[in-house]
Amino acid sequence: MAKPGHLTLRNIRKQYTVNGNAFTVLDGVSLDIAPGEFVSIVGHSGCGKSTLLRLVMGLDGEYEGEILLDGHRLRGTSLDRGIVFQEHRLFPWLSVTDNIGLALQNSPLTKAERRDAIQQHVELVGLQGFEKAWPNQLSGGMSQRVAIARALVNRPEILLLDEPFGALDALNRAKLQAELQRIWQVEGITMILVTHDVEEAIFLGDRVVVMEPRPGRIKRIVPVATPHPRVRNDCNLLQVRESVLEEFREETIETISNAA
Amino acid sequence: MSVQVIPSTPALRRAAAAVAARTRLWQGLALPVAIIVLWTVATSANWVDTRILVGPWKVVETAWFHLTHHVLWEGLGYSVARMVSGFVLGGFAGLVLGVLLGASRIGDRLVSPTLNTVKQIALFAWIPLISVWFGMGEPAKVIFIALAVFYPIVFNTYEGVRSVAREHIEVARAFEFTRWQTFRRVILPSSTPQIFTGVRLGLIYAWLATVGAEYFLKAGPGLGNIMIDGRERFLMEQVIFGVTVVGLVGFAVQIIATRLETRLLRWRTRSNA
Amino acid sequence: MSIAADTTTLARQVLVTKTAQRPWTGRLLRRSGSWSLGLTLPLLLPLAILGAWQSASTWHWISPQILPAPAVVWGTLVDLTASGDITTNLGISALRVLYGFLIGGIAGLVLGLAMGLSPTVRAYLYPTFNAISLVPALGWIPLLMMFVGIGETLKIIIIAKATLVPIAIAAVQGIRNIPENYFEVGSVFRFSRWQVVRYIVLPAAVPSLFNGVRQGLNHAWLALVVVELLASSEGIGYLMVWGRQLFQLDVVIATMIVIGAVGLLLDQGLQFAESRLLRWRRSAY
Repeated sequence: MAKPGHLTLRNIRKQYTVNGNAFTVLDGVSLDIAPGEFVSIVGHSGCGKSTLLRLVMGLDGEYEGEILLDGHRLRGTSLDRGIVFQEHRLFPWLSVTDNIGLALQNSPLTKAERRDAIQQHVELVGLQGFEKAWPNQLSGGMSQRVAIARALVNRPEILLLDEPFGALDALNRAKLQAELQRIWQVEGITMILVTHDVEEAIFLGDRVVVMEPRPGRIKRIVPVATPHPRVRNDCNLLQVRESVLEEFREETIETISNAA
Repeated sequence: MSVQVIPSTPALRRAAAAVAARTRLWQGLALPVAIIVLWTVATSANWVDTRILVGPWKVVETAWFHLTHHVLWEGLGYSVARMVSGFVLGGFAGLVLGVLLGASRIGDRLVSPTLNTVKQIALFAWIPLISVWFGMGEPAKVIFIALAVFYPIVFNTYEGVRSVAREHIEVARAFEFTRWQTFRRVILPSSTPQIFTGVRLGLIYAWLATVGAEYFLKAGPGLGNIMIDGRERFLMEQVIFGVTVVGLVGFAVQIIATRLETRLLRWRTRSNA
Repeated sequence: MSIAADTTTLARQVLVTKTAQRPWTGRLLRRSGSWSLGLTLPLLLPLAILGAWQSASTWHWISPQILPAPAVVWGTLVDLTASGDITTNLGISALRVLYGFLIGGIAGLVLGLAMGLSPTVRAYLYPTFNAISLVPALGWIPLLMMFVGIGETLKIIIIAKATLVPIAIAAVQGIRNIPENYFEVGSVFRFSRWQVVRYIVLPAAVPSLFNGVRQGLNHAWLALVVVELLASSEGIGYLMVWGRQLFQLDVVIATMIVIGAVGLLLDQGLQFAESRLLRWRRSAY
């Protein structure tokens, strides 16, 4: 079992310069995520939540502030950190097994260990029997399961999820949220979920970070005390949901309609 | 293709691209300039036999001579006129047949297999037959060019009409469009991009066929004559000039075709942005 | 898999059957109905052409000098095959195409990959490459003739050039059209430069490359006919020129049939290979 990672963000600031004009995507974002914690980040599109995730993943190295994983500053991408993108980003020319195996390209495991790890993760996401299928033959939900298996197969300390279920229909989304909760409990690693679905954020998160745009910053952090595994209609969850939605109601109607 | 982090906003990428484009222009010119310099040095220092490879200056002189005499312009006129007639003839036939085959399942089953088989006969293999049937003169040349244009246009039109989204056809049906209205308002506009791909290819093939026709069906004036004449009299400079003119016309045809396409299909890029 | 997935599949099936009932192009055929008609229709046109051709020669509408009877052409085709004329000449032509295709294909692949993978190489070479490829292969012939004469070298060079251009363009475009997303995945798994090329660039560019190879072979065959028509004393194109000079149209048409058959074979063969190689593109829906 992987050791869960401890992530610390200190005063993150991120700017883009376009035609000489700088605009700030993230400003003064500080957050401490305990090992094994599940943190959800919600906000409207454009609040910089996905950018934040890309910084943590190491896909973008130009920012001010500090990002520490277990006390060490991040440098580029690493197999210690896994990511699931909104689009599954599976390679269409590889089967399910080979797509997952691709993640092990630079892992120290032996051939036999790799095979075991792949099979184990196929089972973890419940895709037994689809090992030889090509991505084109899978539904959206199944593809996203493969993407989760691919992100976990290296046994990362921390898993980043960038609106992973955003493109799925409601029924599949609910099912995969429950699956993710189970996987998180089994793996015991740190997870950060970026989403614009408030219910999803609350259902899964130990804490829900509410962000606001222009510039992107943390508005409020809402703890969700209900123990895992959770059920959807838990009263405490419903109360937290009201309180989080209240945050968004304060914003202008215009931004809300944009997010929808 | 870099593995490094890629700028993640489109605007940022565009700004970087603009700077890079200017450098690229100079880099792109490096090789042609180097070739011309090498060519000049090699011929003036007598590294190569100037009977085989004439100097650039000689080519420029010949070019000037031709550019100021009517033979070139007449030849160009004939060639372009031929190309245009062949293009109109073959393009029209291709367009009509492509629409018919694309819109009618019966027509498709009836004609397409034969057409696909006949297409496999390499274009220039028709030349001997055409020369027997139509002689070496203008009609034979125009027919050959028309044949060259016909294929890309008929197949692209067919593909375009076939790939009209069923959803759009359903919209037409919901509004009770007549067959003609459906064709005019839905099928034609939505297959235009693909038809234009065919037109662009058709223009390129038209020029190829024009040059080919002047080669194989020698009779009558045309641009090809300058090259053929140059080769027969072993005037390297005239041949180089001829090749350049053929290339330039081909280039111009491509540019015109691409410009036309982007102009007429502005809606496509806008909706994608 | 799950109820949710089942319902979406079901919904999809319903959608498919619903739309399949009335495909907009197929109403007439469906009404007239049968499956066997779908197979007979493609044969009608060739039969009609053959019929017209036969009647034209039976009732002497056209002089046999201009259009020999189908039976005569068939006879010539059989004779030329039996005498070995077709096989020998076809063999010579095939060898030319093979050499030209291999040389041009490998050069095109190397050039295309280099221009696709390295922005620097692309910046220096692409404009010149583009300019050269814009001059039709035919345009180069008179110039090349002065340098290398009209022998085998000329033919191989022209065929190689005809192959090189589409393959190089396909490689460049195939690589440039790879979504940036894929490279990020490579970065997430800490791929080295070589791993990116091996596991992302090459497989992602395969469909485009295959297209390029198909076009390249097509152009190689086209170029072969051109050079053999122009200057040759053997080969399938020469057989045609020879027939034309002797005014034996049966030989000309028989050769055309052979050229078409070879073209068809090449095309179908590559299509088959493509569908085998790119099975992953087939989708379940």
